[in-house]
Amino acid sequence: MSKLEELATAVTKGKSKLVPNLVKECLAEGIEPTTILNVGMIDAMGIVGEKFKNNEIFVPEMLVAARAMKKGVEVLKPAMAGDSSVSIGKYVLGTVAGDLHDIGKNLVGMMIESAGFEVIDLGVDVPKEKFIEAVKNDPEVKIVGLSALLTTTMPAMKETVEALIEAGCKNQVKIMVGGAPITQEFADEIGADCYTQDAASAAAAAKALIA
Amino acid sequence: MIIIGEKINGSIPSMGKAIAERNEEYIKEIAIKQANAGATYIDVCASVAEDIEVETMHWLIDLVQSVTDKPIAVDSPSAEVIAEAYKFCNKPGLLNSVSGEGNKMDILFPIMKEHPEWECVALLSDDTGIPKSAADRLRVFNNIMAKAKEYDIDPSRLHIDPLIEMLCTAEDGIAMVEEVMETIKSQYPTIHITGAVSNISFNLPYRKILNMGFTVLSMADGLDSAIFDPLNANLMAMIACTEAILAKGSVTEGMDLSAIAAELPAEQVKFLYPTYAALAMKAGIIEPEEDEEYEERDIEGLFEELKGNLTEDADARDFLGLLYATDALLGNDDFCMAYVGAFRDEAFGPIK
Repeated sequence: MSKLEELATAVTKGKSKLVPNLVKECLAEGIEPTTILNVGMIDAMGIVGEKFKNNEIFVPEMLVAARAMKKGVEVLKPAMAGDSSVSIGKYVLGTVAGDLHDIGKNLVGMMIESAGFEVIDLGVDVPKEKFIEAVKNDPEVKIVGLSALLTTTMPAMKETVEALIEAGCKNQVKIMVGGAPITQEFADEIGADCYTQDAASAAAAAKALIA
Repeated sequence: MIIIGEKINGSIPSMGKAIAERNEEYIKEIAIKQANAGATYIDVCASVAEDIEVETMHWLIDLVQSVTDKPIAVDSPSAEVIAEAYKFCNKPGLLNSVSGEGNKMDILFPIMKEHPEWECVALLSDDTGIPKSAADRLRVFNNIMAKAKEYDIDPSRLHIDPLIEMLCTAEDGIAMVEEVMETIKSQYPTIHITGAVSNISFNLPYRKILNMGFTVLSMADGLDSAIFDPLNANLMAMIACTEAILAKGSVTEGMDLSAIAAELPAEQVKFLYPTYAALAMKAGIIEPEEDEEYEERDIEGLFEELKGNLTEDADARDFLGLLYATDALLGNDDFCMAYVGAFRDEAFGPIK
C-alpha cells in the first residue's frame, strides 16, 4: 500500500492518532500537498459519505473520520501556505428563523468542510436578512444551505428562499435545503436548487453544484 | 414512573401516513394498545401544516377519547395550537409543551392558572437556542420557574424536559443532562423530570439497548416521567426493576436483590441484575478494567465476571449490550466507537 493509500485508509477508519504522522510521511516523500489533501483526505471522506448514505456506517464512524481528517489538515496547512487556497469555495449554512435544531446542520457543516469548502455557520434561528447579508458581503460564497426540523418552520424556509431570490442572490449562489420534514417536492415548490436527505449526500451534491 | 405513550405522532412515518389517510382503525388500535400497556398519558401530535393542525388535533383527540379514558398529552410545537386543541379534551391532561422561547409561556400558563388540574411539560430551550452547558440550561429553568410562580403554578404540575440529545455527538456522555436533572430535583423535590428517551440513541445501532440504559441511569438522577413506546415490554420491565431498586435506597454493594426479585412479576425478573449492574457502574461500584493492549475499557471482561449463569444467548447479548451502552452513556466511550465496534463484531447479535 502506498503512503497515500495508507493515509486514506486511516482517515476512513478515523485513526486520529495515525493521520498526522502519515501526512508528514507523505510530505517527506515529496507528494504534492494538494494531492495529499484531495486524494488522501477529501476523496477518503467522500467514500465515508457514500457508506453513510448507504447505511453501511453510523454517525459516530463518520464523526471520527472527519475528526481524523481535521487533524491531518492542521498538519498540512503550513505546507500549503502560499499555495492556491485550500478551500474550493465558501458555504453559508444555517437553521431558519424560529427553529433551534442544530445537530443535523452541524453534521452537514462537518461533511461540507470535509469536502473542501470553507463553512460559514450562521447558527440557529437565523432571519432571512442575515442569510442575504452573508451572501452579499462575500463574493466567494458559492452555496447557501438552509435547515429546518419542524413542519412549523417550513414556511420560514420558503420565505428565506424567496428573499434570497428577490435580493438577486441567485446570480452568485446556489440554494440547498434539508431537514427531517423537507422533501424534494417542497424544495422544488419553493425554488431551491437542491435537496438532499443527509449530510453525506449534501457534501456530494455541493461538490457537484460548483463543478 | 409517569409514562407518556408516544406513538400517535405524525412525524413517525407509519402514523403520518395513517393521519393523512384518515385511517381511524389504525389510530384507535394504537391508542388502545398503549393504554393497555400501562401508559399514564396518551400523547397526540399531528405534525401537519399549521393551517390544518387544530382540526387534525380535534379529529385525533376525539378518536383517542372514543376508545380510552387515559388523559391526553396535547403535543405541538405551536403554543397557539395547544391553546385551541386542549379544549377538545374531556378531562384534564398534559400541555406538551412550553419552553423559554418567544411567548409560549404567556399563551399557555394562563390556561394552567385557569385549569388547576392540567399539567405542563416545559423544555429548557429559549430564544438563544438549545443551551450547550448545564449552567445555561439551568438559567432557562430559573426563568421558567419564575414565570410559573407569577401564574401560581405549583412545581408538582410541571414536567421539566432537560433536552435529551443524541449520544453519538455528545462529548461527555450524559453528564451534562445528569447535572441539570440533579440540580432541578434538589431545588424542587416535587417537580417532575421528563424526556424523550429514544432521542439518545438516534444514529446509533441497536437503539433499544441504549434507550434502556439511558432510562435506567436517568431515573437514578430524578427522571420520573418519560415519553416513549409503552409497547416496549423490555423497557417497561427495566423501569419496573429500576423503581424497585431505587425504592430500597441508593445502590450499594450489599443490596439484597433476591428480596427485590421476589416482588417482581416473573417475566421482569431477568432484567433485575442487568439493571442493577448499570446502576452500579454509574455509582462506581463496578468498573471495567483497562485493556492494556488496546487502551480501551474491557467491557467483555466485565461481562464475563458478571454474567453468572445466564444461559439464553439473546439475554446474554442484551446484558453485554447494556454494559457497553452504560459505559458510553457515562462518557467513557470516545464517540461511542467501542459500542459501535462491538456491534460490528456482532457482540449484540448477528447484524441484519
